[in-house]
Amino acid sequence: MFNFLFKKENRVEELLYSYIENFNLIQEHFDKAILSYMGEGQYEEFDFLKSRTHKFESKADDIIDEINNLMYGKVLIPDSRQDIMFLLHSIDKIPGTMENILFSIKYQQIEIPSDIILQLKDLIRISMESCRTLSKQIKKFIENKKGIRSLLNIIDKNESHCDYIEKNLIKHIFNSEIDPFLILQLKELIINIGNISDQADIVSKQVNILSIKRRV
Amino acid sequence: MYSLLGGIFLGWSLGANDASNVIGTAVSSRMIKFWTAAILASIFIILGALISGQAGIETLKGLTSFNLSQAVISSIAAAITVTIMTLFGLPVSTSQSVVGAIIGISIINHQLNFGGLGKVLICWFTTPVGSAVITVIIYKCFAFFYNHLKIGLFGLDRLLKFGLIISGSYGAYVLGANNVANVTAVFVGAGKLNVFAAALIGGVSIAFGVLTFSRPVMETVGKKLVKLDPFSALMVSISLGVTLHIYTVIGVPVSSSQAVVGGVLGIGLVKGVSTVSMQTLKNIFFAWFLTPVVACIIAILITFGSYLEYMGPN
Repeated sequence: MFNFLFKKENRVEELLYSYIENFNLIQEHFDKAILSYMGEGQYEEFDFLKSRTHKFESKADDIIDEINNLMYGKVLIPDSRQDIMFLLHSIDKIPGTMENILFSIKYQQIEIPSDIILQLKDLIRISMESCRTLSKQIKKFIENKKGIRSLLNIIDKNESHCDYIEKNLIKHIFNSEIDPFLILQLKELIINIGNISDQADIVSKQVNILSIKRRV
Repeated sequence: MYSLLGGIFLGWSLGANDASNVIGTAVSSRMIKFWTAAILASIFIILGALISGQAGIETLKGLTSFNLSQAVISSIAAAITVTIMTLFGLPVSTSQSVVGAIIGISIINHQLNFGGLGKVLICWFTTPVGSAVITVIIYKCFAFFYNHLKIGLFGLDRLLKFGLIISGSYGAYVLGANNVANVTAVFVGAGKLNVFAAALIGGVSIAFGVLTFSRPVMETVGKKLVKLDPFSALMVSISLGVTLHIYTVIGVPVSSSQAVVGGVLGIGLVKGVSTVSMQTLKNIFFAWFLTPVVACIIAILITFGSYLEYMGPN
């Protein structure tokens, strides 16, 4: 009824949902891109998906900039302003990591050995699941719904699982006969992919704290 | 007309000082723009003074019977006390200054109304305590509903913003109703004004103080006050309004500053944390006793001074 009084607030809300939508698109394209790279030489498709991922990542930055500008215009009460900006800057590290991974694969032309592909796919699958769960958790936070804690548990479990796979993979490549230079490239790639679920876990815990903080 | 200047000055300083108690939280935390809050507060202060200010005026008027010069002296003594206490950085209460000055003049007149004075003193002691208790009750009740609300982050944000505007306006209304007596009741007692004119002039002078000089005071007070979360700030604001409203109905002007401190203490009780420092508490208790005493002494001194006559060399 009083929506006309809160035009800027409505715009921030719209942008926040659009950021989450965009975040889902980034991870969807990242997932497809990396899987196509690991597939049978689908480099053209990889290039296309990499550029799409980059496009959505830039869009995410634009959305954050617009929200930032609106926040400087004193939209929302200070506590909500602080919580939302803190959360956005924290989530935004994930698309950045995804883009860096695709960038390093493309320009380092990393040759992924076939014996680690299955485990690497597992690592990516679980990381993507964490990202999707994180999107749901953030939506629940915005909509002030219950279930934030249970989603945190799923993300936390995924993060432990990813850590386990990550360590296994690193151990495996260092015990293999592959070229030492490639070992270092692969190690960096594995750690970067592992960082996705680590960051998702960090953000998820922050969302949980913010939701507890908002209860009176 | 000139005889009213003391009262108008007192009203102006009351508006400048006490506006921070009703709208300060919302403005200093930038939830509402200063001018929106100041204009709203001014309108509601005048309305409160006109609609519900009579009871307090009757109480203060009934403490003693003054002539016009004594009414002027009591206003000036109260205004000087407010200024001195503010200069020393003590949390000053205009109500205590005014009553202290009235007591001073009543002592000289040998006609103090002990029944009325007792009522006023009891209300002074119960203001911060009552405000703390009211805050605890209000907090518990509102928190229960707030935690069960099925609206999102943005909806809650709007609710808090609306709540602060409404509670600030309500606070301003009861501030006008409760404190207008401090400003002009003595002139009603002296037969200079009728109750309606006293409420109007008092209300307008308080509103003038809010519009012209409350901003710097608000910024200073905002930095000194403990930072409350938005919900607690809203609860303190509602509790302030309710506390002042109760005393308005009883007909005793009380200190909004002391009611706010009581409210903040109440939040500390609910959350189990210390929200007010011991130094602030000491200052409040010290000012509690000192303000009426200083005002009383100043009123007596000015009255004696007014009897002095120049004798000349012969």
